[in-house]
Amino acid sequence: MEAVLKNLASTVELLAVAAQSGVVEQWDKQTLSRAFHWARYCEHLFSRFHNNPAIRTTMEKQLQLTNQSLRAVFPGYTEVSFSDISRCQHLLLVGLLKNPELPISIMKILFDTTKQSEYQDVTGFCSHIIQCKSACKVLSPLTDLSAIGADAEVQGVMLMERLSALLSQGTAACHTEHIVNSVLQGCEGAAGQFCLVITAALLTTKNSAAQTASLDFLLDWLQKEHNVLQHMCSALPTPLIKDLAKEHLKFRHAYYDVLKKWASDMDYSINEGEWAQTITNRTVSFQRLTEHFLTLFEVCPSLREDVEKELNALKVSDGDFDVRGLSVWGDLLSALNK
Amino acid sequence: MSQPQPLIQLQLVAEPLLNVQEMQFWLDKAVTWGQADSSDTQKDTCLHLSRLRDFLQQLLTHINNMSSTTETMTRLPLLGQFLGRLCWNPYVTADATGRRLLFQCLWGLYSEHPGNAVERKANQWIRKVLCQLATEEDDAAAQALMKQMGVPPKEYHLKVLRKMVELLQKNIGKSCRSLGDINQRCPCDNILATSVACVPLVTYPEAAPLIGALLQQPVTCVRAALSEDFLDALSSAYSSQCLCLEEQAVVSLWCHNLSSLEKAVLSLLECVLTKTGSTPQKLKQQLAQSLLPKASAQHWTIFLIVNDIFRSILKQAEGNESVKCVIQTFTNCFLQERALLQHQTSVSLKAFFPQSPQSLLVPLLTRPSEMPQDVWRHHLNWLSGSLQRLTEEEEDGDGDGDSSSSTRGHHKLFESWFLLVQCAHWVQVAVQLLVTSGPEDRGPLLWLLTFYHHPTNRGHHRALQLVRAKDAWHHLHSLFLVSARPLPVSLPQSLVPLLSPQPQQPSLSPYVTLKLLVNFAVFSHQSLSGSTEILQAVVERSGLVDEAACVLRSLELRLTEGSCLSSDANRVHLRIKALQDTLTHMHAASRYPTENQTHTHTHTHTHTHTHTRTTQQ
Repeated sequence: MEAVLKNLASTVELLAVAAQSGVVEQWDKQTLSRAFHWARYCEHLFSRFHNNPAIRTTMEKQLQLTNQSLRAVFPGYTEVSFSDISRCQHLLLVGLLKNPELPISIMKILFDTTKQSEYQDVTGFCSHIIQCKSACKVLSPLTDLSAIGADAEVQGVMLMERLSALLSQGTAACHTEHIVNSVLQGCEGAAGQFCLVITAALLTTKNSAAQTASLDFLLDWLQKEHNVLQHMCSALPTPLIKDLAKEHLKFRHAYYDVLKKWASDMDYSINEGEWAQTITNRTVSFQRLTEHFLTLFEVCPSLREDVEKELNALKVSDGDFDVRGLSVWGDLLSALNK
Repeated sequence: MSQPQPLIQLQLVAEPLLNVQEMQFWLDKAVTWGQADSSDTQKDTCLHLSRLRDFLQQLLTHINNMSSTTETMTRLPLLGQFLGRLCWNPYVTADATGRRLLFQCLWGLYSEHPGNAVERKANQWIRKVLCQLATEEDDAAAQALMKQMGVPPKEYHLKVLRKMVELLQKNIGKSCRSLGDINQRCPCDNILATSVACVPLVTYPEAAPLIGALLQQPVTCVRAALSEDFLDALSSAYSSQCLCLEEQAVVSLWCHNLSSLEKAVLSLLECVLTKTGSTPQKLKQQLAQSLLPKASAQHWTIFLIVNDIFRSILKQAEGNESVKCVIQTFTNCFLQERALLQHQTSVSLKAFFPQSPQSLLVPLLTRPSEMPQDVWRHHLNWLSGSLQRLTEEEEDGDGDGDSSSSTRGHHKLFESWFLLVQCAHWVQVAVQLLVTSGPEDRGPLLWLLTFYHHPTNRGHHRALQLVRAKDAWHHLHSLFLVSARPLPVSLPQSLVPLLSPQPQQPSLSPYVTLKLLVNFAVFSHQSLSGSTEILQAVVERSGLVDEAACVLRSLELRLTEGSCLSSDANRVHLRIKALQDTLTHMHAASRYPTENQTHTHTHTHTHTHTHTRTTQQ
């Protein structure tokens, strides 16, 4: 274990040197290869031990010490956390490319464009990344708009894997929730993308008990996050909502609750001659709301009877008038039964 | 005063390489592509990709010719802007050549020792752009997720790419019901757009499954067409051997794109015809590796095109034995592949051989091994007779003076001869029978052999050639009956004229005599040592060592494939082996003629003696 910690510390020091020291001027291809080799080694350490709390804590302690000493040497040093280690090669690369002392010959090696990527070969490291990213950009306009995008699918899978790992360790629910919340925060401004990620995660096939547990956890989390849930129901394309409702009973219930909430928030506007939500919260029209209910019935026909019963009960509590514009529940019922 | 002048001359030479208007055109293009991201801009970029590559190559040459970055920037002030915009165009950076040229241009602008502010700024800019390209993430959500989930960017992007390829492949797999409403959106609309997008990705191994799916999708709908630019890009990648597709995708490419098929056939021919001293087994291997026999068996259209190329090569290289050999081996491989597919396809033989006379088709294509040996003679007589009738018809047609019927006649004759070349195993059997069978009428067999080598009757020389062939046979026959040792020198000597083509007279192809010679050496009752001596003497004097070795190897291959289990087979194979050894030694010796001429003779003599000893045991 000591050797491992030593290697970890050395690699973090290497990252600092690569980013901020003029020593890189003397680097050659061999040095470069060795540096990336050590970065890969650290990534491997992360994947091996990030689910092992004991070892993880030891490594975090080591990192704290290393960070301290490096802070003393390099002004403006950015600390490296344990989760950063998962992207050690990337950190090394960023540091190197931003270092103005990096010899142009080293850059040329990294951006070399001749032939295939050999496993663990540093030549063309950047060229391959660029090729991959560009290919994604070239192909992404072709993907079907009604489906979840490839990136959301991959992100969904990543999320599920993380959740499975956390839950199988017996991590406290609040900590796991914290992870999902931080992802949500990170997606700030891209609420649509986040919804797609959650959808993709929820639609991953149930291969194992661990996955079922993660799905359950995610559904429970979703039920508490009203904003996200509402956004999903209003923004997602109908086929996706149908799939979610088909797969997960909890989602179906949550969906129904959202629809009821939307209806109860509606007021009849005499000017427009139609039910509408309050001006500050225009997410869905009455027409759309009706369509949503129909979607719900399509997914689960047996639900129709219960829903209509409930809507009727609500209509009765509103006075049981058959005049349009007095009870949203009544008008909803008549729209559904047209 | 004379010194500055050469410099000016150099500059004048450099200028015509690049004109400012072209630069402006491409810059405007780059600006347009950067602004919109519609399918039209996509199409436009892919359409211009190969011309853009050429322009970048010109730019690169220009940059390298300049003495400094300052000079380059003075001459082409728009250059920096242009390259900068291209860096952010994914179609250019996804394309292997585009990316390479772009980066090389950037390196060309980098100054090792910057001399002024312009050069320092250029250096900084180059480093910045490259750093951004390699490390920046424009999707903030994805970045946050990567950090939280502990997935490195390189791995993430690769996963996303693979997922995209998978999803797009699935889309292509969906067949459409083309009989539906024309206004309805058809899944096949995707195919054209996908093929356009794949233009920069043809050499990218990660995209290979998608490209393979595009090529192999069954064409059921009018709208499921592949973009021409896509096929052109594939074709040029194929000829520079940068393509990494699986077998069936390559075959599909050939079906879609004639020029890539032609390139494949021509490069195969180049490969097999320039290699000297390659064995028939190696030829078979090379043909199989080229995938062309398999592709021909799957698609009769491919077979027809390959044969058309063979026909034109044959017409150009008349009398070229190796071309004929390739055609025979190719047809052989093709038939084997077809036999494997037999249960799957129901395409008749006629589709594969539309121009061949139908009456000759099955008789010629049937292999000797598929027929009992005692029937061979009868079969060959029939073949010979049919072909003879055809030639007589053609010659009569000539006399008619009716040009159209004589052209038809010529055509029919050529096609019959071509079919015979494809099925030359029967000619080989004819030679063997000429040597091994009794005193029955040798006429038809000799005629067949002569016809194979001389299909046209130019100047009505066929009769004369037949006479010479008969002469050659008699000569060889009597030669191999001689038991006197050592062989009188005059006897082999008299054969030499028959083995070297004489330009004046209507000469017989030396191969006729050579094939008879080799077969006599193998099959006659003459002792092995005697046969070896005769063969060696004749071949040495006529200088046809390689050709004789080739004939011998083809004979061996046919016999082993035919797997005739006669008791004679062993003896025959031993003889062939021994003769091959002799020829190999002769070949080796002929490479160093000056060194050991005397040694050669003693060497071969001792060799012969060892053979005598072994046979006597």
